[in-house]
Amino acid sequence: MADQTKSKKKGGLLGVFKDIVYGMSSHEMTRHAVRTRASMEHLFILVTMGDLLGIPILPPYYSLRLLPYVTPQISSWKRRMLRERDVTDVLG
Amino acid sequence: MSLRTVFESQPDRRYIMFGGKGGLGKTTLSATSAFWLASQGKRVLLFSVDPQASLSDIFQRDIFGKGPVPIVQNLWAQEVDADRRIKEYQDEIRKKILDMYGFDKVPEEIDNYIAAASAEPAMEESAIFDAVVDIIVQGDYDYYIYDLVPLGHALYYLSMAKVYDEWINKITKLREDMRQYDQVAATMRRQETIEEDRILSELNYIKDRINASSQILTDKKRTAFFFVVVPEEMIILDTKKAGALFAKFDVPLSGYIVNRVLPPELGRGNIPLYLRNRIALQEKYLAEIKEAFGADVRAYVPEMERDVTGLPMIERLAERLFAGP
Repeated sequence: MADQTKSKKKGGLLGVFKDIVYGMSSHEMTRHAVRTRASMEHLFILVTMGDLLGIPILPPYYSLRLLPYVTPQISSWKRRMLRERDVTDVLG
Repeated sequence: MSLRTVFESQPDRRYIMFGGKGGLGKTTLSATSAFWLASQGKRVLLFSVDPQASLSDIFQRDIFGKGPVPIVQNLWAQEVDADRRIKEYQDEIRKKILDMYGFDKVPEEIDNYIAAASAEPAMEESAIFDAVVDIIVQGDYDYYIYDLVPLGHALYYLSMAKVYDEWINKITKLREDMRQYDQVAATMRRQETIEEDRILSELNYIKDRINASSQILTDKKRTAFFFVVVPEEMIILDTKKAGALFAKFDVPLSGYIVNRVLPPELGRGNIPLYLRNRIALQEKYLAEIKEAFGADVRAYVPEMERDVTGLPMIERLAERLFAGP
């Protein structure tokens, strides 16, 4: 983030123009990439930490090694996994 | 080929395992072999992965959970304390979480998970597996002698390396795919570098450890696996089955050791019928063993007149087992 503000100051008018082009062309793609990345993150936590939801996974010993890195995501992941779903999910 | 010739002709086989059903004398034979190798000037580590390890009993001193304990010159023995290892490991994970996020205490649900994970039945085996990796990757010894747990466990242990390997490959692949999405997003936002994925490095670390261990276990050049049998019907049947199963896991089988052979001179005197029957039965089973494992039998070990415990007894057995060619 800090890098971005810096480049804006530096780029001036050109920077603004670049941002506009970015917004028109690739913002949507970036958003898609980031969202896919986020759901993969949740899938990853599921296959490594499934035990947290009572889904047995293999093997708990090594998955504990990964636990510190996903600790901040655990609650949002649980919310997503345990959320009730209906037909509007498909539309959204 | 005798046991001595096997060791002398294949000096690269530094990882030696003894397997077989419980109570057949795996610990005795591994301790005896370790003792003999040490007496030949090799640095030997004899270690047990059995939660009910009996190295302490055979050497008649408490070595449980004390790391490698020197027994005689060149010989160290070690019994892994899995429970303590799990506790230390849990504390390490908790500390890492506290350090990484500057928490005062580990969030409750995370802490509960850490505690619950150690109640998993696979946890102890995994901890032992990891402890063995620690032992063998350090590589300070000329010989590593595994006093293996009974057959079922041994198979489980060997298959675990394969299961781990597949699991870790799958999640590493997933992690790498995630990395690509990071890269795409970063490129489109014109960021030059993306943060290093620490989970990926952690996965690679785990992968290296598992590979190191399974490579050694299945490497014919470096590993020798011996089956211990006794001349009894059930044991012979089980050993045949186990031999086939082990072959599936590419375990390099180096031969069979027939333990508890009643001395044949016993049958010559005027002996009770019971003993005469036992000896006749043994003859029959020895013939069966010859037929089934014949050329692969490395030694016939006589039933000693008393239990093999304590160094003098181990030394005596070693002299008989490794008598000159």
